[in-house]
Amino acid sequence: MKHLENSISATLRRRLLAGAAAAAALLAFSAGTASAAASCIKGDRKAPYTIGWANIYSVPTWMKQTEGTIKAEVDELNKAGLVKDLMITDAQGNAQTQIQHIQSMIDANVDAIVVIAGSSTALDRVISDACDKGIAVVNFDSLVDTDKVTAKINTDSNEWGATAAKWMVSQLGGKGKIIIMNGPAGISVSDDRRKGAQPVLDANPGLKVITETNTEYNVAPAQEAMTSLLFANPDIDGVLSLGGALSAGSVMAFERQGREQVPTTGENARQFLELWKEKGLKGWATMQPNWLGALSVYTAVQALQGKDIPAFVKVPLPVIDDSTIGSYLARADKFPADGYIYSDYDKALFDKLLAK
Amino acid sequence: MSTISPSSWLYGSIQLRRNRGLGGLYLVVAAFLILYAVLFPGILSIGGFSKFTQNWFPLALVTMAQALLMLNGGITLAIGPLVSLGAVIAATTMEGALGVSGGILAVAAAGLAIGAITGAIVTHLRLPAIIVTLAGSFIISGVALILLPRPGGAIPDWLSTVLAGHTPVAFLLLVLILALWKAFLATPLGLGIYAAGDNSVGAFRSGVPVERVKVAAFALSGLLAALTGLFVAAQTGSGDPVIGTPFTLNSIAAAVLGGVGFLGGKGTMRGAICGSLLLSVMINVMFFLGFPPVAQYVAQGLIIVGAVAVPEFLTQWRARR
Repeated sequence: MKHLENSISATLRRRLLAGAAAAAALLAFSAGTASAAASCIKGDRKAPYTIGWANIYSVPTWMKQTEGTIKAEVDELNKAGLVKDLMITDAQGNAQTQIQHIQSMIDANVDAIVVIAGSSTALDRVISDACDKGIAVVNFDSLVDTDKVTAKINTDSNEWGATAAKWMVSQLGGKGKIIIMNGPAGISVSDDRRKGAQPVLDANPGLKVITETNTEYNVAPAQEAMTSLLFANPDIDGVLSLGGALSAGSVMAFERQGREQVPTTGENARQFLELWKEKGLKGWATMQPNWLGALSVYTAVQALQGKDIPAFVKVPLPVIDDSTIGSYLARADKFPADGYIYSDYDKALFDKLLAK
Repeated sequence: MSTISPSSWLYGSIQLRRNRGLGGLYLVVAAFLILYAVLFPGILSIGGFSKFTQNWFPLALVTMAQALLMLNGGITLAIGPLVSLGAVIAATTMEGALGVSGGILAVAAAGLAIGAITGAIVTHLRLPAIIVTLAGSFIISGVALILLPRPGGAIPDWLSTVLAGHTPVAFLLLVLILALWKAFLATPLGLGIYAAGDNSVGAFRSGVPVERVKVAAFALSGLLAALTGLFVAAQTGSGDPVIGTPFTLNSIAAAVLGGVGFLGGKGTMRGAICGSLLLSVMINVMFFLGFPPVAQYVAQGLIIVGAVAVPEFLTQWRARR
């Protein structure tokens, strides 16, 4: 349930946004000094604000870390007198329950809703209801299809897949047999990362995809899946894994069977990064930074205060490679053993991202 | 002419006995509803009532679908996937050539057919329902994912507004479906559902077509589950191939909470509906009480165990006295 993503292709969305931004710029220009409020904002909500954090599932470590950054941000905004309350819900993986929670947040008349969607389509109606009521809705990580939100914040899953595949091509010199590991079927983020990799694979026919697998974003099932794939395939030159726990599971499966490690892509999961260092692996990783949660709260408050906010905030994918892994592992003990070591963040970074 | 005939006296006493075990549940549900109304008076407005009942409606329907099978000794693990499939069929057909009425027919036909086939396999091959429906759940999930590999599709806006707008249409539909259930229970087939579940050999000897009853129960249950999918698609405006998954366990939980037994013949539909209402209203009440998520997990478990265990303890205590 980690991150799902929008079905509108990122490029199309960027093009639309560029158009919208141009139109907005023209409007702002013609309207002179009139403040250009963000979408959903009506300007009748006064600080300190109440913020609702509608999570789809709070149990995974990634989610707990994300909640940590949200709470830290709320604490800071609370000290600044901007936020008075944070309501947290956990839909236990059930998109229907999440609809009910968001409805309750609307009923409780919160000022902002920060949401990770359990389904890219199911929340469309309830979220546009919230937007109509002037509630700031900031959607991050797994996105909804509707554009009736104040802002969507995410990294680009297509780019994730493409960059990982490009790295694999350069590692193997464009020739070899690889296995692809995907997240669960029917989840758009997994689908988007996989789709992003395809053009790169098409352009490099020397790279043969022997087989691919779908598992949950979890070490144990990934290890199990890779173990059976190893039995069936004596020659494997690389593992194109599109999720951190998947890579850790894969590395452990290779280890267990005494097979030599192969170049492996992955995510900033602490376990994977540590295995990478320990086994002297050829590795590459990117991340869905946990601070997207903190950034979302910050964005919601900025919007409520009347600042203009881009409708889509594209967060660049931080890359971990041999040159930077040391700096991540140096901070490893500040993160849970099964957690994610994310890149540093601060207000300046947030302002820079929102200024785009 | 107000003499009570023996049969209606018998009916009354049976109904009374059936309700006795549910007294605790009714009280708990009533308490939660009152608490909810106190915490959020907006529930008493048409809009608030509509939104609340819309969020409860899908669970109420799948609980009926599950209870229908449990009452005659069956069970289904394919409810969730069937809800997903119903939603997917609705979202992929309604904007196409079939149109809304064609889409509704397609969903209903798929539900009826899948239910009937499952029922036929269970009764005629004498296989355990739990295994057949477990296998069925994989197949149905797969089909839903093939039809719609990722969330998408669309439901006409007007249909979403009719079913899940600011009017209590969903609640009225539930009342209508319950009335139909009541009418169905008066037919020989409907009576057979309880009879076949309680004592299938006895029912058979009294002339109940036990096998036909079971197939019919599975078919109706499939119909209800698929229609739930249709409503979910309308409520959300689109289809999601995995949205139904959590309904399987929740439907069983709600039915058991409502006093429906696993072994058949025991329980009532009103109890099951009440169980689903408790599960649903609980979510809203805990939200307004400001429970943190971890406490919600614990509270939810305690309430469910309490609602099942307390009446049981009371019965035992009464028996011992």
